Amino acid sequence: MDTAHIRNFSIIAHIDHGKTTLSDRLLHRTGTISDRDMQEQLLDSMDLERERGITIKAHPVTMRYVARNGETFELNLIDTPGHVDFAYEVSRSLSACEGALLIVDAAQGVEAQTVANVHLAMKHDLAIIPVINKIDLPHANVPQTKQQLEEILAIPADMAILASAKEGIGIDEILEAIVARIPAPKPTGVAGLQASCFDSFFDTYKGVVTHVRIFNGELRPGMAVKLLYSGKSFEVKEVGSFNPKPYARERLEVGETGYFTANIKSPKDVKMGDTVTDNRTPAPALPGFQEIHPMVFSGLYPINTADYEHLKASLAKLQLNDSAFVYQAESSVALGFGFRCGFLGLLHLEIVQERLRREYAMDIIATYPSVVYKVRLSDGELKEIDNPAFLPEVTFIAEIHEPMVKTFIICPNEYIGDMMALISEKRGNLDHTETLDARRVMLTALVPLNEILIDFHDRIKSLTRGYGSMDYEHAGYRASDMVKLDILVNGEPVDAFSCIVHRDKAEGRGRALAAKLKEVIPRQQFAIAIQAAIGGKIVARETVSAFRKDVTAKCYGGDISRKRKLLEKQKEGKKRMKSIGAVNIPQEAFIEVLKA
Amino acid sequence: MTAIDTGPVRHLYVHVPFCAHKCEYCAFYSEAAQGELVNRYVAALVRELELVAADLRPRTIYFGGGTPSLLNLRQWETILAALARLNVSGADEWTVECNPATVSPDKAQLLRAAGVNRVSMGVQSLDESLLDRLGRIHSREQVFRSFDILRRAGFANVNLDLMFAIPGQTMAVWQATLREALALGSEHLSSYEVIYEEDTPLFEQLRAGRCDVNEDLACAMFEELVATAEAAGFRQYEIANFARHHGLAGAEVPDRACRHNVNYWRGGSFYGLGPSATSYVRGVRTKNWANTPLYCEQLEKGRRAIESTEELPPLGRAGEIAAFGLRMNAGWPFAEFECVTGFDLRGEWAGDMAWLGRQGLGRIAADRFQLTPRGLRFADLAAERFLRP
Ligand SMILES: Nc1nc2c(ncn2[C@@H]2O[C@H](COP(=O)(O)OP(=O)(O)OP(=O)(O)O)[C@@H](O)[C@H]2O)c(=O)[nH]1
Ligand code: SF4
Ligand SMILES: [Mg+2]
Repeated sequence: MDTAHIRNFSIIAHIDHGKTTLSDRLLHRTGTISDRDMQEQLLDSMDLERERGITIKAHPVTMRYVARNGETFELNLIDTPGHVDFAYEVSRSLSACEGALLIVDAAQGVEAQTVANVHLAMKHDLAIIPVINKIDLPHANVPQTKQQLEEILAIPADMAILASAKEGIGIDEILEAIVARIPAPKPTGVAGLQASCFDSFFDTYKGVVTHVRIFNGELRPGMAVKLLYSGKSFEVKEVGSFNPKPYARERLEVGETGYFTANIKSPKDVKMGDTVTDNRTPAPALPGFQEIHPMVFSGLYPINTADYEHLKASLAKLQLNDSAFVYQAESSVALGFGFRCGFLGLLHLEIVQERLRREYAMDIIATYPSVVYKVRLSDGELKEIDNPAFLPEVTFIAEIHEPMVKTFIICPNEYIGDMMALISEKRGNLDHTETLDARRVMLTALVPLNEILIDFHDRIKSLTRGYGSMDYEHAGYRASDMVKLDILVNGEPVDAFSCIVHRDKAEGRGRALAAKLKEVIPRQQFAIAIQAAIGGKIVARETVSAFRKDVTAKCYGGDISRKRKLLEKQKEGKKRMKSIGAVNIPQEAFIEVLKA
Repeated sequence: MTAIDTGPVRHLYVHVPFCAHKCEYCAFYSEAAQGELVNRYVAALVRELELVAADLRPRTIYFGGGTPSLLNLRQWETILAALARLNVSGADEWTVECNPATVSPDKAQLLRAAGVNRVSMGVQSLDESLLDRLGRIHSREQVFRSFDILRRAGFANVNLDLMFAIPGQTMAVWQATLREALALGSEHLSSYEVIYEEDTPLFEQLRAGRCDVNEDLACAMFEELVATAEAAGFRQYEIANFARHHGLAGAEVPDRACRHNVNYWRGGSFYGLGPSATSYVRGVRTKNWANTPLYCEQLEKGRRAIESTEELPPLGRAGEIAAFGLRMNAGWPFAEFECVTGFDLRGEWAGDMAWLGRQGLGRIAADRFQLTPRGLRFADLAAERFLRP
């Protein structure tokens, strides 16, 4: 396709504003998918996405569209996730585009992630097409949403297209606007191939499948290409696009997005943001992606120590498809060998764990998540600690600095009081309040990252009946009175449950953790003592009482087979628990403690 | 490698799938006895017997249910005649389960005359309100009357079934039931804690929160049972089974132990006939359809009514035999285990035995491994460890 007839765009929005539903509509309207294959949230193809009703991965699709002027266009769409934890998916997708459809829910209006994503799109110099979605809802408020577009985002309201992805309203206007308002890709003008890698996944047969945007030249099977960052050269085996399933094409031309395979077996050879060029005449590198910094760290360990190598290989493959997460080997006294992994947030952590379980059949547990602390020792040395187990003895510590974030909370006026109370409960300081429009304000506050990780977002949602939203960005470090809270199970410290908390909150946290563990650790034939300790001082104690019996009251010839199967199942279940000392701790325990 | 007994099978179980009324806790397969189906069942059972008789020379026979005593005299005559004709009667131990409400002198005499020499009576409780709670059809008076009828008919080996930890049962009520039951002077006692089986009304009540489980009380009742039974001259030989013993002190099991059941725990072969019955013949386990009309239909066509077959690999089989044999106080003598399974317990299971030993749940003696009295209370935990894939 000649570049004049190519349009590359992403769909961006706050979570749940209807990106995926709208993408489905576009696919359907352009005949990319048939009536028969049409289903809700079609692009959310991962089971996890369907179950949770959220998009986790960016999904690219190529569509053909015959415009009103009779010309045929190739539209390359990338549906992106809305949740903050997957913002890196959005920014990489935007790097492959010239434009973005900005969806705003007419009933919710502009929310925190809307603002963040608009800023991202502006940073990439993209043409933005605002779409006010869900106008079919009875409480849709189009005039107010328009006003917010202007006042909060400085986007002219008359640019906005009114739509209902659900009812199929406004779809034609959107398609026409894409053709009219989004610029065609412009070749960079250098000699030869320049393509940028913006996503990838591992295919057992084809090796690494790399998603690319061609900025210059073209990509064909049989070409020898070089990846500039890794310095490796490969022969291209297959190129293609998505419809939304991958399909092979003869070539990918300048301006197009798609994928290529080159029998790349080592996931490490492909780095996101890398530039693909012709092996013989390498072109200069395209601007790469900004390094992302994980916010939270947690140790992932195989339940079965023998699965360590399998976990290592699985992490490498998964990382191909989730470049926001990082990992490196570590070991734990209680858990053996595993990996310290960095995530963008707790949802991200949960999703990675879940994907390891489902896609790689790994039984794993995760240690209590931690942010990265900067610790100044008495001798002046500075240490970064992302694992509570490695926090030096108190006597050697001069000062602990914790990471802060600047958080932006958008909420209706009447909830200002609740939000301020929440901020102070989370050890934050309100910086300032801005009036967005007649009914809503934006609060900016400095809050320790450690406090917003777990339930900050949920609390905002519930306190504001769903109308509040938030976003955050890094804001340096601050000295704080932090202590290490240890959990002991039958007298043995279990480093997986250790965490670093503010002194004022340590005791309460200890009590909550111990109580939660008592709930989730199954009874065994001996009593199990659970203790929480701060610097050796026990602050909470719970006991899981011993089973007094574990016996089938009666068992004769006809019962044996059924009983055996039951016992086998139990035995299997125990294998999926981590035994620490003599105590079996179920996988759920490691997740449940987060909710304590 | 596995020492499979090659002679005819020595143990026969017959399932009689009819009850007058379903008890609240019962998950056995049984249904209401309507005249014609019972006759049809009797004919099918005779047919099934004919199919296996050549491979059967029973030392023990056990008629269980359901309620075998619900069969009328004519039906019993048909079955007994068939057993005699096929040359499978005359077992050393021949038990028939009876419900105290359905024992009549005629029936007792008929069975005794045919060679039945042991009766197991489902008493469950001697407290009227608990009997009612359990949905039992008999009264406490009927228990005493039936026991008397059995003795008069010449039954010198009688078992009583008792249940404890019944919702609403207090320790005092349990003690009274135990005392009265033991005073009858039976030769054998089977007693177990109520089991909340799925798909029973009792289970539903538990789930709905209309009754609850008091683990401490259940344990205390069990301790009471063991102590009282022993004081009354019984010897416990399995988690839920007690029998009188007059012979040598060192015997593996007491004289009056139920040999038929001991065969189950020892992994021996047996035929199980009737709807829902399980057979275990030379390592192959089969289960009949738990559906009386279907069972009859199959046999009317001349084939056995087998729903499923299971054959474990040798080690899996040995693990199962190890696991369930540990329910007996005698545990597993190493030599006997090896003879039955072909495996040495001290090889494959050395670690498990040592672990149980360390926990105070098991005892490794020179000639055997057995669970300690405390270990018997954790028999499932032990069994789980002994199982092998
Ligand atoms: N009434 C109405 N509901 C809509 C419309 N568009 C989407 N929805 C509903 O809004 C919910 C969220 O839709 P999605 O398409 O999954 O939203 P999303 O923006 O892709 O969500 P994330 O990817 O998780 O950020 C779903 O229940 C949709 O059915 C619309 O036009 N009208
Ligand atoms: S009499 Fe026995 S088999 Fe029949 S329902 Fe009651 S407990 Fe079950
Ligand atoms: Mg989506």
